[in-house]
Amino acid sequence: MGNEAIFAELKQAIIDQDQEAVLAAVDKALAAGIDPKAAIDQGLLPGLTVIGEQFECEDIFLPELMQAALAFQAAMGVLEPKIKEAGGSGPKKGTIVIGTVKGDLHSIGKNILKLLFETSGFEVHDLGIDVDLFKFVDKAKEVDADIIAISALLTTTLIGQRDVIDALKDQGTRDKYMVMVGGGATTEEWANSIGADGWAASAYEAVVKASALVA
Amino acid sequence: MIDLIEVFDRAEVGPLISETDYYMKRYVPKLSELIARHAIKWDKETIVNRDDDLTDRVFQAAVDLIAEAGAYCPETNRVMEFTREEILTASAQCPRSATFGEGRERKTMHGRRPDTTDDRPWVHVGGGIYTTDEQVYMDTVEKMASISIVDSVSVPSILHLRGKDSRVRSPQEILAACKTVRLAREGIRRSGRTGLPIINGISAASQPASMFAATYPAFGLRPSDGFLIDFLSEMVVGYEALQKVAFYNSISANIGSTSTPLFGGYAGGAEGVAVTATAYMIMGNLVFRGTYHYNAPLHSKLHLSSTKPLIWAIAMSNAAIGRNMGYPMVNLPYLGGGSGTKQYHYEMACYLLAIVTSGGNVFSGHPAMAVQSDSLVPDDHKFHAEMGLAAAKLTREQAEPIAQKLYPLFGDKLKDPDKGLTFQEVYDPQTKRIKNAEYQKAMDDVRAELAGMGLEVPVS
Repeated sequence: MGNEAIFAELKQAIIDQDQEAVLAAVDKALAAGIDPKAAIDQGLLPGLTVIGEQFECEDIFLPELMQAALAFQAAMGVLEPKIKEAGGSGPKKGTIVIGTVKGDLHSIGKNILKLLFETSGFEVHDLGIDVDLFKFVDKAKEVDADIIAISALLTTTLIGQRDVIDALKDQGTRDKYMVMVGGGATTEEWANSIGADGWAASAYEAVVKASALVA
Repeated sequence: MIDLIEVFDRAEVGPLISETDYYMKRYVPKLSELIARHAIKWDKETIVNRDDDLTDRVFQAAVDLIAEAGAYCPETNRVMEFTREEILTASAQCPRSATFGEGRERKTMHGRRPDTTDDRPWVHVGGGIYTTDEQVYMDTVEKMASISIVDSVSVPSILHLRGKDSRVRSPQEILAACKTVRLAREGIRRSGRTGLPIINGISAASQPASMFAATYPAFGLRPSDGFLIDFLSEMVVGYEALQKVAFYNSISANIGSTSTPLFGGYAGGAEGVAVTATAYMIMGNLVFRGTYHYNAPLHSKLHLSSTKPLIWAIAMSNAAIGRNMGYPMVNLPYLGGGSGTKQYHYEMACYLLAIVTSGGNVFSGHPAMAVQSDSLVPDDHKFHAEMGLAAAKLTREQAEPIAQKLYPLFGDKLKDPDKGLTFQEVYDPQTKRIKNAEYQKAMDDVRAELAGMGLEVPVS
């Protein structure tokens, strides 16, 4: 089997959300001497691109997206150590700290975005829901984040997004991070009014904007 | 039926599991398996389902979902498990009616069956849209309550205290919730219908403490109003919800078990939303001790409920409960089009045709995509209440072709809906009468179009 066929197999296994098939294809790739980075770039990531498009078009939904993400993560569990053994590092678009603001217990939108970020090649640190504003700030510092992504569903919790930006300003680190805001209660006008660097109406759009911000 | 303390205990004794594992190892695979097991399939065209065998399979799948996946309590990280017998007993013993209001406004909402054409469904109007000042708030509530065919209202929100929005969980939030209720009651009093019930949650109240405070008699909420208790995320029963269950049951208040299954979220597509929405209605009585259900499925990206698959799923869940349980249901429509637009009226007509003929009561919706402050326009809600009553005279078979004619008029606009009008743009500030001729014309035009399609909507 040629390299192209193995790349196609990797891609299709991700599209099928079939973790066993993904791992089998990874084994084939390594046995064939394919560079692990190439397996990711030419096999897994193109599969994830298709998954992202299918999700955007409503051909698949969150459960399928999660299955694809789990299959991708399983493959990375095998490939990343190989890349490190060879002295390299895995593909990474950027580092994102994500969470839902203090007082807001809604998680689904944030979880969808987290998955799309991960499957698009970002390293994601998920702080969960009801997150204290200084946790965003401290985690971003700890992991040297590129982007802080803050979700809010409730209008009464929107102010928490502004608080994070204010805290970054107070600490003199506002320019160090891009801040993206989103969630059901947010609008582009709100994002602009609090000085956020990015806002998106959908998770897929957020990934596109985040990719542009770190490019 | 198992008692309430036993229900609370289930959150303490079930299997320990992380939230992610609950979804990935229990809820998601189980839902997918049940959809296949019960051969539940949406044909991607139908809006108003008429297949009763499919409807009953959706109900069975919902029972199986609760029995085999359980609910999840995030505070204890445990699955709340219920036996099939407990679920079916709760279903069999659920309330078939709920009585709201005081004095001559005291009326009873009934559970309805699909294709019931000889009853008069409950008519609920309003929504929690934000208002910018107290005068607009009072005028909006007064005009809503003044609609003669209305049985209950949802009241808008007012979050401002001394010019600032109150922050979630702050002391100001408690004051804002109490103020909202005081103003709402005053608006209702001005309409001359003092006993009219409020049956929505107070949007200013994000926490139980704020709702409990607003329930203090001096502020005006009464046990004969309706109090919403919601599932936080798919199948999640949080402590805040259970705190409300404990309190509202203790004061014998009407409880509106509330759910918002997300299309595109963990529930997946139309089939998953239909099954999950139905499961919520069963759990609404089993877990929340609801007297009625507030069904509000939503599109996870568009944040509205008027896409074709969603209307099918919402109607299906109403029919499944109407045929198998009889729990009273209202359904909260979120629409794309802004207030006063033809798009908004088309969406409402399509939604009500599907839902009311399938066993739901009448609830006017409100803009979700093109929403703006002060955009609760009472004459929209009057028109939509009239549409709902007109739809109640039809069967599902009669409703489907009209719904199919309506959908193309708004389906392609849902991603970029028409912007609407505000209360101030529609009404004269002194007389409170409609001053905007275009607004009136849009409504009149749609009424005529509906008549042409076979839905006569008499002016009440």
